[in-house]
Amino acid sequence: MASVSFKDIEKSFGVTKVIHGISFDIADGEFMVLVGPSGCGKSTLLRMLAGLEEITGGSIAIDDTVVNHMESKDRDIAMVFQSYALYPHMTVRENMGFSLRLRKADAKLTGERVAHAAKILNLDPYLERYPRELSGGQRQRVAMGRAIVRDPKVFLFDEPLSNLDAKLRVQMRGEIKALHQRLKTTTVYVTHDQIEAMTMADRIVVMHDGRVEQIGSPLELYDRPGNLFVAQFIGSPAMNIVEGTLRRDGGAPYVEAHGMRWPVAATTRGTDGEAVSYGVRPEHMGIGGDGEPVQAEIIVVEPTGAETELVIGVGEQQLVLVTSGRPHVEPGQRIGLAIDPAMVHLFDRASGIRL
Amino acid sequence: MNLRKVTAEAKLLLIGIPVALWTLLPIYHLLLFAISTKEEAFAGKLWPDHPTLHNFGVVLRQDHYFLIHFWKQLANSLVIALAVGAITLFIATAAAFAISRLKVKGGRLTMNLALFTYFIPAAFLAVPMYKAMGTYGLLNSQWALILAMITLASPYAIWVLKQASDKLPFELDEAARIDGASPMQLFRLVYLPLMTPSLVAVGTYALLLAWNEYLYAFLLLSRDTDVTLAVALGQFMAADDSPWELLMTTGLIYALPPAAIYYAFKRYMVSGLTAGAVKS
Repeated sequence: MASVSFKDIEKSFGVTKVIHGISFDIADGEFMVLVGPSGCGKSTLLRMLAGLEEITGGSIAIDDTVVNHMESKDRDIAMVFQSYALYPHMTVRENMGFSLRLRKADAKLTGERVAHAAKILNLDPYLERYPRELSGGQRQRVAMGRAIVRDPKVFLFDEPLSNLDAKLRVQMRGEIKALHQRLKTTTVYVTHDQIEAMTMADRIVVMHDGRVEQIGSPLELYDRPGNLFVAQFIGSPAMNIVEGTLRRDGGAPYVEAHGMRWPVAATTRGTDGEAVSYGVRPEHMGIGGDGEPVQAEIIVVEPTGAETELVIGVGEQQLVLVTSGRPHVEPGQRIGLAIDPAMVHLFDRASGIRL
Repeated sequence: MNLRKVTAEAKLLLIGIPVALWTLLPIYHLLLFAISTKEEAFAGKLWPDHPTLHNFGVVLRQDHYFLIHFWKQLANSLVIALAVGAITLFIATAAAFAISRLKVKGGRLTMNLALFTYFIPAAFLAVPMYKAMGTYGLLNSQWALILAMITLASPYAIWVLKQASDKLPFELDEAARIDGASPMQLFRLVYLPLMTPSLVAVGTYALLLAWNEYLYAFLLLSRDTDVTLAVALGQFMAADDSPWELLMTTGLIYALPPAAIYYAFKRYMVSGLTAGAVKS
């Protein structure tokens, strides 16, 4: 159990700077997810914490001990790799016990720890098998078992589910989360998949181009994205963004876009005539009547059973609307958009920052 | 079987049979002489009337002027080949591990230099090598030949092992480092076991290179009790009346160990030991 602290972390590969001064803290026992598009520096940050990459600037501390120049093996961390990185010439048992063997731990203790981890992960029947004889999900579990046996201060996961098929990924997601709830070990988890981030994290760090865009709990990020990037990255299908101009001529404020009046909350900040990006999530729009101020044309109807996804055209732009149930609509039909003003997000168009 | 399959097979046979004949004919010739008496060997028959193992007896009993040191020379060949194989393997493995896995500085330069050695044919280096060994006072010592063969075999061995090492996933090293392995432990517990097929292949290569070497052995060794059997075989030709049947018999015996080594390590030459290490 341990806390982790990043302070003004910078990283350059040659002249290319990939991480530009990142600072945040991870509390003891927290499940922290680093998420962002590929190339945003999330894996590099994790590898610096693991001791696999040099730290160019700033400091990383585990339990208030700066580990910048400490060897990986002395940091008391365990890492699960995307490719599993199991030793192919060792059995599952040997793979899981390898770190203790290197530590010259006594055989009895090693046996107990391996058995314990195997039990947690349901790997008992496979202990004498070689990695090549296991399925993808089982290999993934062995990789986790190898980490558990260590009983480390911090678990590191580097996109551990990317190599699994969709169904297995959902299952392993649940298993990792259950594991964390059981062991309560501080965990840093890197993924590019925002759904993984949303479902597993206590808190999420959204990264982009080597910078932190926002840190918060999954629902905070969903409900109050701090900027356009986070708004569009978190949530699936992604938030609809419409470019417009804020108007407050006398009465209630509204945003003018595509020649129509888009509703906003009465408490909206910002000045008349300000260029804004108007954001509304697909699930916060409904099918309304002729009286709605925003009118649209249905382009595609995609039923998924539980809900229906509609691709709709407003002016030249295409938006996505998700509604529960199975509305009787068809392509070409014109509908009004029922938008809940309280669920609208406004961003400054130039800076992308939330108003 | 349809017509197309028949013609495809016929074409393969058309190429395969001449190639097989081309390869096997000298070996057949070798065998024919080895089991013939001196008179019959030159009779031009496809199979001797009275096949005999007499020649093998003569060779194994060292019962001929040219064969007085047969066992000693065979042992020389063996010792030198094993030494060259083992030391080359050690050098090449250490170099490949340092360059490919530890990424030491100057690795690229070393690889380029290793490649560069092949711009000059080994035969051109024979005389300079002779002078060098003379300078070190190693002439007439078997170490001269061992060191020379290691020099010739190492660059290629390093290349092959470096290429093979590069194929091992780097995550394995990182996982081992996090698990607490020192570079030496990584080398011993992870790298060597996974490299076994390549190590066997490269070791065999160096061993056979030394076993089959004639020119350097001839130049660097001179005492009859020091030379390898390959050189001794050459000395058969010194006489006007060479005992061809004994030469061929000895040659056949000399060819057996390489064949045996090849056969024994066949399964290592092609192997997928890394299967399952990472997503394939």
